[in-house]
Amino acid sequence: MIKSWLQSYVYEPVLTKEDIKSSKKKKGARASNWRKVLGRIWKIVDEQRGLLVIVLLMVILSSILSLLGPYLIGKIIDDHMMKGEYSGLKEMIFGLVFIYMGLSISIFLQNYWMIGVAQHTVYQMRTGLFSKLQQLPITFFDKRQHGELMSRMTNDMDNISSTLNSTFIQVFSSVLTLVGTVVVMLTMSPFLTFLTMLIIPIMFISTRWITRRTGKLFKTQQQALGALNGMIEETISGQRVVKAFSQEQRMIDEFTEKSAYLRRVGYWANVYSGAIPKTMNLLNNSSFAIVAGVGGLLALKGYVSIGTIVVFAEYTRQFTRPLNDLSNQFNNVLSAIAGAERVFAIMDEEEEQDQGKNEAKHTIQGDVKFEDVSFRYDVEEDAPTISHINFHIQKGQTAALVGSTGAGKTTIMQLLARFYDSQQGKILIDDRPIQTMSRQNLRSQMAFVLQEPFLFEATVKDNIRYGQLQATDEEIIDAAKKANAHDFIMSLPDGYDTFLTADGGEISQGQKQLLSIARALVANPSILLLDEATSSIDTVTELAIQEALERLMKGRTSLVIAHRLNTVRTADLILVMEEGKLVESGMREKLIAKKGIFYQMLQQSIL
Amino acid sequence: MKTIFQYIKTYKVSASIAFMLMLVELTVELTQPLLIRKIIDDGIVEKDSHTIWLWGSIMMLLALLAFLAGISNSFFAGYAAQNFAYDLRNALFQKIQSFTMTTFLRFPSASLITRLTNDVSQVQQVFFMSLRIMLRAPLVVLGSLIMAFYVDASLAIYLGIGLPFLAIFMLMMVKKSIVQFSAVQRRVDRVNRMIQENLQAMRLVKAYLRGVYEASRFEKVANALKKDTSSALRLMEYIQPILLIVMNLAMLVILWFGAGQIQKEQTQIGDIAAIVNYTMRITGSFSMFAFIITLFSRAKASADRMEEILLIEDGVENVILHPQIEVPSKKGELVFENVSFQYPRTDRYVLKNISFTCKQGEKVAIMGATGSGKSTLLQLITNFYEVEEGRILVDGLDLKEWNVEKLRQIIGYVPQRALLFTGTIFDNITWGKTDATLEEVMTATKQAQIHDSVMHFPNSYQTRVGQKGVNLSGGQKQRLSIARAILRKPEFLLFDDSTSALDIKTESALWDALADERATMLVVTQKIQTAKDADQIILLENGVLSACGTHDELMTSSTLYQRIAQSQADLGEKSDD
Repeated sequence: MIKSWLQSYVYEPVLTKEDIKSSKKKKGARASNWRKVLGRIWKIVDEQRGLLVIVLLMVILSSILSLLGPYLIGKIIDDHMMKGEYSGLKEMIFGLVFIYMGLSISIFLQNYWMIGVAQHTVYQMRTGLFSKLQQLPITFFDKRQHGELMSRMTNDMDNISSTLNSTFIQVFSSVLTLVGTVVVMLTMSPFLTFLTMLIIPIMFISTRWITRRTGKLFKTQQQALGALNGMIEETISGQRVVKAFSQEQRMIDEFTEKSAYLRRVGYWANVYSGAIPKTMNLLNNSSFAIVAGVGGLLALKGYVSIGTIVVFAEYTRQFTRPLNDLSNQFNNVLSAIAGAERVFAIMDEEEEQDQGKNEAKHTIQGDVKFEDVSFRYDVEEDAPTISHINFHIQKGQTAALVGSTGAGKTTIMQLLARFYDSQQGKILIDDRPIQTMSRQNLRSQMAFVLQEPFLFEATVKDNIRYGQLQATDEEIIDAAKKANAHDFIMSLPDGYDTFLTADGGEISQGQKQLLSIARALVANPSILLLDEATSSIDTVTELAIQEALERLMKGRTSLVIAHRLNTVRTADLILVMEEGKLVESGMREKLIAKKGIFYQMLQQSIL
Repeated sequence: MKTIFQYIKTYKVSASIAFMLMLVELTVELTQPLLIRKIIDDGIVEKDSHTIWLWGSIMMLLALLAFLAGISNSFFAGYAAQNFAYDLRNALFQKIQSFTMTTFLRFPSASLITRLTNDVSQVQQVFFMSLRIMLRAPLVVLGSLIMAFYVDASLAIYLGIGLPFLAIFMLMMVKKSIVQFSAVQRRVDRVNRMIQENLQAMRLVKAYLRGVYEASRFEKVANALKKDTSSALRLMEYIQPILLIVMNLAMLVILWFGAGQIQKEQTQIGDIAAIVNYTMRITGSFSMFAFIITLFSRAKASADRMEEILLIEDGVENVILHPQIEVPSKKGELVFENVSFQYPRTDRYVLKNISFTCKQGEKVAIMGATGSGKSTLLQLITNFYEVEEGRILVDGLDLKEWNVEKLRQIIGYVPQRALLFTGTIFDNITWGKTDATLEEVMTATKQAQIHDSVMHFPNSYQTRVGQKGVNLSGGQKQRLSIARAILRKPEFLLFDDSTSALDIKTESALWDALADERATMLVVTQKIQTAKDADQIILLENGVLSACGTHDELMTSSTLYQRIAQSQADLGEKSDD
């Protein structure tokens, strides 16, 4: 009965025998991996070597002062009180006042500066990771959940942060105390010191036994947390759909399942990592007993004095405490490493390749050529998304991409913007392969209106300014007017200074598109890419901004995707796509005369 | 804190066991000096090796006992803490799921995420620690203090004088730091939000080359987090030095007066040594105090943030609370009666005095300029937002009478922004009806005109989509989310401009396929083409119903409709020339 009662407090183990075995085998690799991770963190910490040295000096100072205080008090008791000698007592006590003040101040300062060092390190890592995210190719983001990535930047970082705050000082002062204590012990009784030292190998072995498990568990725990975060992020972003389909209960069930897994892993991480201090306590207590017992037997034979045993027992405590602290810190370090490993995994991702990175800035004329371009998103995928595409848009021309959804129109735009690189064929701008151009140059002269308008948590003004950071307020208002967004912006509570919340429902999808168009208008590009830019805008408004768009497209090379054929009428070139292939292309009139696919599309769409 | 404590209560058994085990450990530790004295006094001094062996072994056994207690403590403490966190997390998630849209939008999504993970972890950690080590320090202080008074109250009183001040000081620090740590958690929210925003808008950021700009924006946010964290942590670092200086000075005072008393032979030297020893023990556990207070303040800040969510009473949907008494009298009928609506905390009417009726199987098109209230109208039907003025009848029953879950079961809502979840295509389509068979799914996908495309995907219905999945075009996403809605065979189908990315051919095939469904359809659209064969067209202008009727009727009666038609005809004509 007791057994079953006890079992209700124990979860199914997370680690299998194979896990532990394999971790034994991989021990060498793992150790070198830890060293690498620690080395990388150290590199960032080391940037503030000056402060670090001061912290160390403060630790040394406080260690000395904390030894000096009791020593002097002992002296007061022995030399003054015992002997009834009261002259000089005042001076001693005054001296102690200063020593203790110094102790408090040095403790405060070492922590004060260490927090600075630690938080700066975390800041460096966090911003480093963020900039790294900006360097990664779109394919990286296609394969990962947002919430999981977010977890690395907050939960994992938090782990590193709390460890850094305490570990450094702890480790250093522990080592100091340890060395000091051993020296004193050795001078008193080498044999008893040897006895005390006996626990070190045991400690070493048991710590290794435990950390072999905790290392893996901490990592699993952070992964489970990441997965949970991913699920939360997705559910919360899609809350409207969850509600509309009344799937709340299922989401709760799914959440509970992931949450239960996290609980199980967390439980075992707690249990194993909790074993370290307890083992240390055991060793501590038993070495205490050994000193007392063996020391007592030795004392019987007159090898050691009673005083030595008393002092030694105290020193044993002093000796094991820093060891205990160290092993505890080791645990913290392990969990921080688990977090850091996940952070560095992203830091090591391959960045967007940019051959022409150092290319000097030059103006793009806007002559766009696709030569036999084929592309697939997933290399393992059978059917390419687009295949053997050939076309040529001359400088200043407007080309319209038409075709059913999924035909590959957006893909062509994404290739032109180099979100992806084609596996086959060449894309040339001004007769140069775009791979040889810098993305900086390329994109700085393009403007986009993407299929899904996105607004940042910022003011309306700043959202439009995103297209051109130097734009003046007048330019912004002008662009908004052209995009027919001015009137609705003015009806917002604070006009252009209205702060848009990310999820705020007060701006409609169509209004978001108007703002996106204004954003592109401010950018003033050589090449303009419009991907269903007006899909959520009513046709009356669309007609009104049509003129502005046309003016914008004049003199610029434009590539336009539209499901409504109205945009097509001003196009110089029409590209008809079907299932990833370019099935027709040419001037409007020619295509109509040809009475092919485009002609049929026109026929069907005309009222 | 009260609400959070409720969650601890469930685990009071395991928590108490863990606590007892901790006491066992502590007792062993505290008795060891006594045992050593025994060995010295009875063994060495009396030259009795038997006693030394005996008490030496007892010490060893006690050490083992403490070890066992300690290890078992890990199990119970781990059990209590992990379960506490688990319950808390689930309760939070459930609460959030029960929110109305209005309540939901009060919290930025990133903040909800932080509360569900980071904040829960903070509180859990404190709970775990307090079951293992935290009480140790206070107990040591208390025990030592009592012993000191026992030894010599007249000297120990000097220790006592300082303590109330220290207690007040610590309370103040706790108060102050809770404020600071709440600020830190808000900064964490902000950092989280910024990352989320960038992940969502990665293409836009790249397109406009704003990587560096975003990074510098992020630096500001991260810097604010760094500053606030540092200042909160630094605040806590005042505790230990101040405690130390006060206690150490008290000790010096004791030495000073103690020396005087010895001179007058009022006190024994051993007593002074003992009191000094106890004082040192007290100061020795002070570093622990600073640690405890830091943890506690952080946890309190986090607990408050979680309570903010858990304590929301109104603004929760009536899913369970509201059993549906009245039975709907008609099927597939929708009536708006003088409905006016403004979003919470705004003063502008989005919809004004809207009235219309649609019968079963009708197709109603809703048209109007951008921002005229079309999406809002649909969202009122799903009861995302509650109508304050006028009423909406679904199947003859006022929306307020409906059980939200039952209501939404008969509605198929296709949002404007097609949203897919991580998983396979099959998972996504059956998302609203998990027990659907493959045939049902294929019927739905065929109706939604997406079956052929799906068959072209590498693993057809088992292809992964969503945040981790393959690239789908906007139109494909829209059609998948349409299939998801049709699969449930709802009485009402609400399309919120959800065919905007479909080409005309596909779209008309879609409407043809849906014509067989008996569902009442409300279709927000921009296209006259789509509206043309609707039974009724509702025309919104700045939130007011400006006209209502069939295509032919509106063509004669409504100038706005004529203008819309004209705009499209214009474009049509021109594309025809």
